[in-house]
Amino acid sequence: MNKKIISGFAIAASAALTFGVVASTPASAKVKEITIAYQGPLTGDSAQTGIDEVNAAKYALKKYNDSNPAVKINLVTIDDQGAGSVALTVAPGAAANKKIIAIVGPAFSGATISSLPYYKAARLPMISPSATNVTLTDKKSVNYGYPVFHRVPSTDAFQGPSLAKWAVQNQKSPKVYIVDDKTPYATGLAAFTKKALAAGTWVGSDSTPDDTKDFAATISKVKSTGTNVVIYTGYYSQAAVLINQLRADGYKGDFASGDGTLGTGFLEGAGKNAEGVLLVAPTVPLSVGNPAMEADYVKVMGAASGEYTTETISIVNIYIAAVKSGVTTRSGMLNFINGFKGETVAGTKLSFDRNGDNNGAAAITGFVVKGGKIVPIEVVK
Amino acid sequence: MFDTLIHQFWSLTFSGIALGFIYVLIAMGYTMVYGVLRMINFANSEIFMVGAFATVMVSKYVFELSNDAIPPSNVKLFLVILCCIVASMLASALLAFLVELVAYRHLRNRTTNRIAPLISAIGIGIVISEIVRIFTGARTQFAPNIVPKKTLATFQGAEIRLDSTLTIVAGLILFILLDRFIKYSRLGRGIRAVSMDEDSAKLMGVNLNRVISLTFTLGGLMTGAAGFFYVNVYENVKFNMGFSLGLAAFTAAVIGGIGNIRGAFFGGISLGLVEIYASAVIGTQWKPVTVFIILILILLFKPNGIFGEAIQRTRV
Repeated sequence: MNKKIISGFAIAASAALTFGVVASTPASAKVKEITIAYQGPLTGDSAQTGIDEVNAAKYALKKYNDSNPAVKINLVTIDDQGAGSVALTVAPGAAANKKIIAIVGPAFSGATISSLPYYKAARLPMISPSATNVTLTDKKSVNYGYPVFHRVPSTDAFQGPSLAKWAVQNQKSPKVYIVDDKTPYATGLAAFTKKALAAGTWVGSDSTPDDTKDFAATISKVKSTGTNVVIYTGYYSQAAVLINQLRADGYKGDFASGDGTLGTGFLEGAGKNAEGVLLVAPTVPLSVGNPAMEADYVKVMGAASGEYTTETISIVNIYIAAVKSGVTTRSGMLNFINGFKGETVAGTKLSFDRNGDNNGAAAITGFVVKGGKIVPIEVVK
Repeated sequence: MFDTLIHQFWSLTFSGIALGFIYVLIAMGYTMVYGVLRMINFANSEIFMVGAFATVMVSKYVFELSNDAIPPSNVKLFLVILCCIVASMLASALLAFLVELVAYRHLRNRTTNRIAPLISAIGIGIVISEIVRIFTGARTQFAPNIVPKKTLATFQGAEIRLDSTLTIVAGLILFILLDRFIKYSRLGRGIRAVSMDEDSAKLMGVNLNRVISLTFTLGGLMTGAAGFFYVNVYENVKFNMGFSLGLAAFTAAVIGGIGNIRGAFFGGISLGLVEIYASAVIGTQWKPVTVFIILILILLFKPNGIFGEAIQRTRV
């Protein structure tokens, strides 16, 4: 094949790719398919969170698409590894892909902060099932996600005080040491937790980068301060490394963490050291909030639901309702979300204020690791 | 500010020395290659990572250990340690040998450009790291508990743990063996001869390619052992673990005087201690800042490192 023919094919292919997207969805044509995206960690240390959430999205969409609707909804996945640095490299592509009219996610606050400039510029609506950093909905912050960012869970301003309360439940005279992993989520949650602790109970803090493998210095500080409650506000992979080293060094006190540690990955990493760990999260497990749906989920997906399933299914249901009402564009979806008033699949109220926060955000649930499982105990008030 | 350092001084010191020995062994991989080739083996951090993964694979899949099970004891413990350390050393040595063959030898024989082999070594390092990333889904792999974390003795309130003690004692033995090997063996003399004057060594009948391969392999053996000790103490591995540890070990080699194996020993132990003391006094988040400020200061006043070329006899 000579060079001219190859060049001809290349030009034709480029033209098809360039104009194909534009030509495929003319305003007058009847739309048969809509695409939404899930963004979160599908690989990396926090992948279990993303896998749980994307499975929840698939479940909701399977139920919808199997009912033979006039407009089907496709799901594409965007793997940001839960890291802001990775999100910076994947968000521009998602923003530029005009077929995507809404995003479920991003799952993590740091990745959300990195993605926001692109999604705001592209007016791509997003509803996160698990990003809890307060700055995302704070209009005084540079991270303010208006008008595109929304979320279902309550913020770290609520999670922090609940964590402070839940963590000290076993101690008569708690001495609390707080460790964060320097990510926006962890530093924010640590600040709210520290603020909520009773006077005289906080004995120290440390910031360890999220790739720390040797916690010897932190453990020495824990020992020298006579700490009996360690609160870690980072994610589960590092939480497992920290608790393993704490227990190996003879620390006998309590270990508590927030929703970043709520995952089976923590149990796998920490093994028997995870036993008795206290966790809080702004989520209602599907098995608690909607047992009937959980049973159906197990039947359809072949396994029990994971983290943030209730929130993720509720978000996908908003998008399904929008598509059913005829929404086919990003701007239409944004208007629909802002005007939405409904309920989550756990029966709590769901609508968004001007800043993107959920007016009926769920309460914070307290969990304890028992018998190798993360068991929800009660709502932490 | 200094409370933790004062109250936990011996505990911190013991942890710092154990970490320092891991740096020393990785630094051997850098310093030996530099001593002979005057080039940095930028793939050494991935050679370390592969060694660490070898320990995890052997302990998990050959001995079927898990982090929930009771660690092995007596004869089985000895057997597990022996097999894991040998597997890590061999895996890293083989990889180091291949890196020399692919990234260095071919280019060394074809060009006088010293940058090309460095770039190809970086390339190989990235290839190895990415392959491991793809196979592990970029997740941290938790290693089983190999050596029990039991306390052997208490000194000034500091618990002396079995796993850390093993790292220190075995690390010291390996260092002494390497030092003696370089100094007294025929092959070691060949390495020193090439290190001092490549052309004269060639005229004296030293086989240059063989010596360089041996240097990479010896460096790989030491780096692989570091992989075993790392897993033994910290019990986790990840595809990118070599980057920060490799950088720290390289810094240790530069502090002591790169190309000088006793300098690398001094640099490794010093760095381990400085890191842990700095973390305790001013916070873990300041650890890298402190380490690199010290490195810059040392290079400002002692550009060849603390030992530099002073100990000619021990130079590789």
